[in-house]
Amino acid sequence: MRLSYPPNIKIIQVPCTGKVDVLYLLKSFQRGADGVYVAGCMEGDCHYLTGNLRARKRVEFTKKILDEIGIGGERLEMYNMSAAQGPRFVEIAKEMTERIKKLGPNPIKRVASAALEYSATPEKKECVV
Amino acid sequence: MKQQIVTQQNQKTPVGAVLLVGGGVGSIQASLDLANSGFKVYMVEESPAIGGRMAQLDKTFPTNDCAMCILSPKLVECGRHPNIELLTYSELLDIQGEPGNMSAKILKHARYVNESLCTGCGTCQEKCPQKTLSEFEQGMGTRKAIYVPYLQAIPNIPVIDKDMCIYFQKGKCRACEKLCPAKAIDFSQTDQKLDIQVGSIILAPGYQLTNPEVRGEYGYGRYQNVLTSLEFERILSASGPFQGHICRPSDHAEPKRIAWIQCVGSRDPSINKGYCSSVCCMYATKEAIIAREHDPEVRPTIFYMDIRAHGKGFDQYYERARDDYGVRFIRCQISKIIERPKSKNLLIAYVDEGGKIVEEEFELVVLSLGMSASEKSRNLAQTLGIKLTPYSFCQTASLSPMETSRPGVYVCGTFQSPKDIPETVSQASGAAAFASEIISSARGELVTIKELPPEQSIAGEEPRIGVFICHCGINIGGIVDVPSVKEYAKTLPHIVYVEENLYTCSQDNQAKIREVIQEKQLNRVVVASCSPRTHEPLFQETIRDAGLNKYLFEMANIRDQCSWVHMDKKKEATEKAKNLVRMAIAKASLTEPLHEQELKINKRALVVGGGAAGMTAALGLADQGFEVVLVEKEKQLGGNLRDLYYTIHGNNVQEFMHSLIEKVHNHPLIQIILNGVIVDAGGFKGNFKTGIMSGPGMAYRKIEHGVTIIATGGEEYKPKEYFYGHDERIMTQHELEGRIVHKEIDPKDLQEIVMIQCVGSRIPERPYCSRICCSSAIKNALKIKEINPNAHIYIIYRDIRTYGFLEDYYTKARKAGVIFIRYDLDNKPETSLEKESLRVSVFDPSLRETIVINSDLLILSSGIIPRDNEELATLMKLQRTQENFFLEAHMKLRPVDFATEGIFLCGLAHSPKPLDESLSQAKAAVSRACTILAHDTIMVSGIVAQVEEKKCAACLTCVRVCPYKVPFINEQGVAQIDVALCQGCGSCAAECPGKAIQLQHFKDEQIITKSSALFKENVA
Amino acid sequence: MIIGKGKPIKNILAMIENCSKIIVAGCRGCVTVCSAGGEKEVGILSAALSLARETDGKPIEIKEVTLERQCDPEYLETIRSFVDEYEAVVSIACGAGVQFMAEKFRKIPMYPGIDTNFIGVTETQGVWTERCQACGDCKLHITGGICPISRCAKSLLNGPCGGSSKGKCEVNPEVDCGWQLIYDRLKELGKLDQLEIIIPINDWSTGRDGGPRKIIREDLTL
Repeated sequence: MRLSYPPNIKIIQVPCTGKVDVLYLLKSFQRGADGVYVAGCMEGDCHYLTGNLRARKRVEFTKKILDEIGIGGERLEMYNMSAAQGPRFVEIAKEMTERIKKLGPNPIKRVASAALEYSATPEKKECVV
Repeated sequence: MKQQIVTQQNQKTPVGAVLLVGGGVGSIQASLDLANSGFKVYMVEESPAIGGRMAQLDKTFPTNDCAMCILSPKLVECGRHPNIELLTYSELLDIQGEPGNMSAKILKHARYVNESLCTGCGTCQEKCPQKTLSEFEQGMGTRKAIYVPYLQAIPNIPVIDKDMCIYFQKGKCRACEKLCPAKAIDFSQTDQKLDIQVGSIILAPGYQLTNPEVRGEYGYGRYQNVLTSLEFERILSASGPFQGHICRPSDHAEPKRIAWIQCVGSRDPSINKGYCSSVCCMYATKEAIIAREHDPEVRPTIFYMDIRAHGKGFDQYYERARDDYGVRFIRCQISKIIERPKSKNLLIAYVDEGGKIVEEEFELVVLSLGMSASEKSRNLAQTLGIKLTPYSFCQTASLSPMETSRPGVYVCGTFQSPKDIPETVSQASGAAAFASEIISSARGELVTIKELPPEQSIAGEEPRIGVFICHCGINIGGIVDVPSVKEYAKTLPHIVYVEENLYTCSQDNQAKIREVIQEKQLNRVVVASCSPRTHEPLFQETIRDAGLNKYLFEMANIRDQCSWVHMDKKKEATEKAKNLVRMAIAKASLTEPLHEQELKINKRALVVGGGAAGMTAALGLADQGFEVVLVEKEKQLGGNLRDLYYTIHGNNVQEFMHSLIEKVHNHPLIQIILNGVIVDAGGFKGNFKTGIMSGPGMAYRKIEHGVTIIATGGEEYKPKEYFYGHDERIMTQHELEGRIVHKEIDPKDLQEIVMIQCVGSRIPERPYCSRICCSSAIKNALKIKEINPNAHIYIIYRDIRTYGFLEDYYTKARKAGVIFIRYDLDNKPETSLEKESLRVSVFDPSLRETIVINSDLLILSSGIIPRDNEELATLMKLQRTQENFFLEAHMKLRPVDFATEGIFLCGLAHSPKPLDESLSQAKAAVSRACTILAHDTIMVSGIVAQVEEKKCAACLTCVRVCPYKVPFINEQGVAQIDVALCQGCGSCAAECPGKAIQLQHFKDEQIITKSSALFKENVA
Repeated sequence: MIIGKGKPIKNILAMIENCSKIIVAGCRGCVTVCSAGGEKEVGILSAALSLARETDGKPIEIKEVTLERQCDPEYLETIRSFVDEYEAVVSIACGAGVQFMAEKFRKIPMYPGIDTNFIGVTETQGVWTERCQACGDCKLHITGGICPISRCAKSLLNGPCGGSSKGKCEVNPEVDCGWQLIYDRLKELGKLDQLEIIIPINDWSTGRDGGPRKIIREDLTL
């Protein structure tokens, strides 16, 4: 559909959001990401049954850590969307970018504005917009 | 069974090969299906390259996918398939023999280029001094006398156009011969005749555009700024004559006011084109949308008679064009176009909503031309003794649209009837099922198995990475500064080679990649281009052909995730592309060779649904020699066929159904489960396990099968509108049909009958068109008229969608006196129901007044809704559309595949469609399923979880977390994960508290390094 | 197994406030199984600590190690060669591990990264419950395999207290009354008569009250 979204979003492909480790999320912030979100399939539609549900739990767990250490859990989010929802993808990309802009750069201030996204679709390929 | 008859008749054994005539998307699909199910394929194409019309298209509706981008991988697959022999620049002269064993005479025109020597380097085309107009560019661009028709052409081997070649015409030049580095030019070549033994033949010669001069009043050929739709398609194309920049021929100015005129050479009995060409409404809508996307100032206007958006997702696309893109749709037939002499602008007069005649000026007019059968295919049919329809399309049985009048010869695509790409693709698979059925006993006899060079070991080597950056025409290069990305890539660690390509996916570039791997001893390859979704397998195969393990390939998605989505931010897009390339390189430097495991395939199929589609699919697979379990949830087979009596073409549906049921019952390979409910489902392509409860006692059984076909059907929507259910005079089309047949209604007693179209369809709750209701209404109206010519029948409609040859019935109904009154959503007909009177009032826009009809019957043309499929979707993890129809893997090119491999769909479960199309689709599902069942084993992905035993604490986390229950603690007391069963989701790896599990190709180190590379300029 | 749970990161940050170079040490024993101190948690804790420190502008160098077991001296030796290069070790093994490390590496401070909670079992993925208090005098043969010491809030040995109501404990209404469980289990086994057995006052000297305990297997020692 080629709907445009902010170029600060970079996508890291994983076979399923169930593969997203707490460590990946923390490491992304450690390297300088201002925001990270995990884009999983709709709940109930996980190709691997429960991967997206586990991912959500891990995201919530990581948000707590981020809150605790002063990065702020709101820099991390879990979203569910289907491969057919290009417009929703864009909406989320914009929403997240806006949110991060308001929060300002990652307190560790290593690198300028960049958001990172872990995403998966059932076909083991990256989300296509 | 057919095959037994064949062998008895001519005592010849079937030949395991099929001849395809044509090289378009239909032929390509059929070829790949057949070649992947154990048959040798010969593809005969008259032009120098395969690809057909689709290759010429810019985008495709309703997804706006780039046509070339989705077609190109299939072209390449055909080009490199060991069991497909491409005979381009060739034609079929004649066939002899009987079904199952035929001999085909083929004329192979001299190419004057030695196909085995040519490398496709393009030097000859560059050096050839003689230019001429390019047919591929519709004469708007040029080519040389020695040429390949288009960039991604397969085979990428040029031909010399003898009529244009200076040497052939004047005896001097031979520049190409002198300069060809491969010494491949051969002026001494002559035409060759070949005899090929095949078992069956599929005709897929496609169509030609109807000659625009049939409507001289539109001035095509005289007015420079009147174009055909295909010409405009080339103008839109990034690889077209103007690189996608919209300009008009007269002055190359950017036109803003663009008009499309529909039905040029369609729905026009005066020129023997009484049929609807089925695709023009949608392609005009698409062209209008794309034009707007290219230039937001473009104001598109489409002049039409009825908008025929009858396909899956089409109505929503049409509405988006109208509401979001501001495309103006004006219902009016245009009688002529006048050119303003100075500006070369065009004047069109039309009647507006209020009935006034308005004259409007346009800078460009596009004629939406219909499809015609080409003269060549007409001649071919004549030579082969195949019957044609009065419109010169291929004649087929009405309930078997792939069978021609000659046994053993099948047809698909637009030569059968005008149709769009998904229908062509699905019919092509269907034709492949027919073609292989009669030679199924010869499966595997003529195929060769691709020999791969041994994989080279890269153990202990430092990464040596080659990077190929694709311009994708202007798709990437127009936004991203590719040369600067290239220069940047050169500065990164481990990089030994970087190159930019116009299309990295073209066949010559595959050869180039292989060469570079050898030359530079690359041990990793990165391609920065479109999307791994479509192109990763192609590049993986390429590097494998060069001896590298396919997992040493990595892709940077700089089109779908960069240039396409940051069109207005070129600088940022270039920066992002650099980031993405750096990330891909970082990952590539850590990739490792992985090995795939071979797994046995269970050759049984499960078909869910015992209606027309399900039974046809079951029978098709059984006739191919595969065991089938057919599950039907009702107590008997038949589905919707039970309530259908006649088709619009006059077929007796009950007879058809009973014979189908009988065949299914009597087939030794089909096992039927009635009253069956699927209660659990597991497994994967080649090895599914499905639990079924059936019978009065709801006994449970587990079926093991290799493929699944979903044919759960749909049903007529029971209206809530127009007092349905409150009066027995109000009924649906289905009910009317039954009552006429059962003589509960005698048409002779009827005087006034009103039919209302789109009841429950094309409304916000159900925004789709149900495709069949227009023809159902016309079918029943004609039935009533046949019995009682004096009956007054009013069909109140929004757009009449009698696509293809169904249009003839619409014409027939009008001639028979059926009155058609148009309404729109803001002005729905109203019904009032009092004791005796049943009154319908509707505003007639042509008379501009409200008409009131006292009707004897009110027939509601209600749409098709899917049957309850939620539980099945959840159990089998199948995707559905917003309307709850099942969703195919790809709208255009994988119409009967699910995204989940090994599961296919057909019939109403996919979308509303008439019986013949359901049957075609069922055959298509058979063909797709055969591509799996034909094999004994299957390779499983190397992307599996691996346990590092030393680190395993046997904590059972993986055992508990795995959604497929694959891991277990083995006798050694450590977790074990069977690679054949592992689905590669990585859940266990993410949860393992000891970090003892890593998912291959997505190891922690690989993912973290890749994401770190985004932030770190200096990666190693 | 021994069940533990990560300490709040703030507490750990406070312990290492003045350090610039530390080791985070995990253990592949019990704490891996209960997801409190395995290699995965070492990675998560290290990432969180270094993130927090960078946020404060005081970056810290962290070495991540995961020992086979922190309760065996030989395994501890595997880090001896470099341990002194660091200013502190945050161990996320159980209390035994942390102490043993402290004992063996005397030059640098040893900080606990987890709280050691109890000896228990995995109910299901992510849920652990207590079963044993290591009293050193097992009575499970009398009580139907359910331990009155650990399952009764008051460790009563001869029946429930007056606070048992509808099978729940008065200390925490979400917890089953241990004696109710014992009664139910014995009933199931048809051995209610075992309730008649009077269990003598517990000899706590075999438990914690007797001071740190020691076990010597003569046959295994030289």
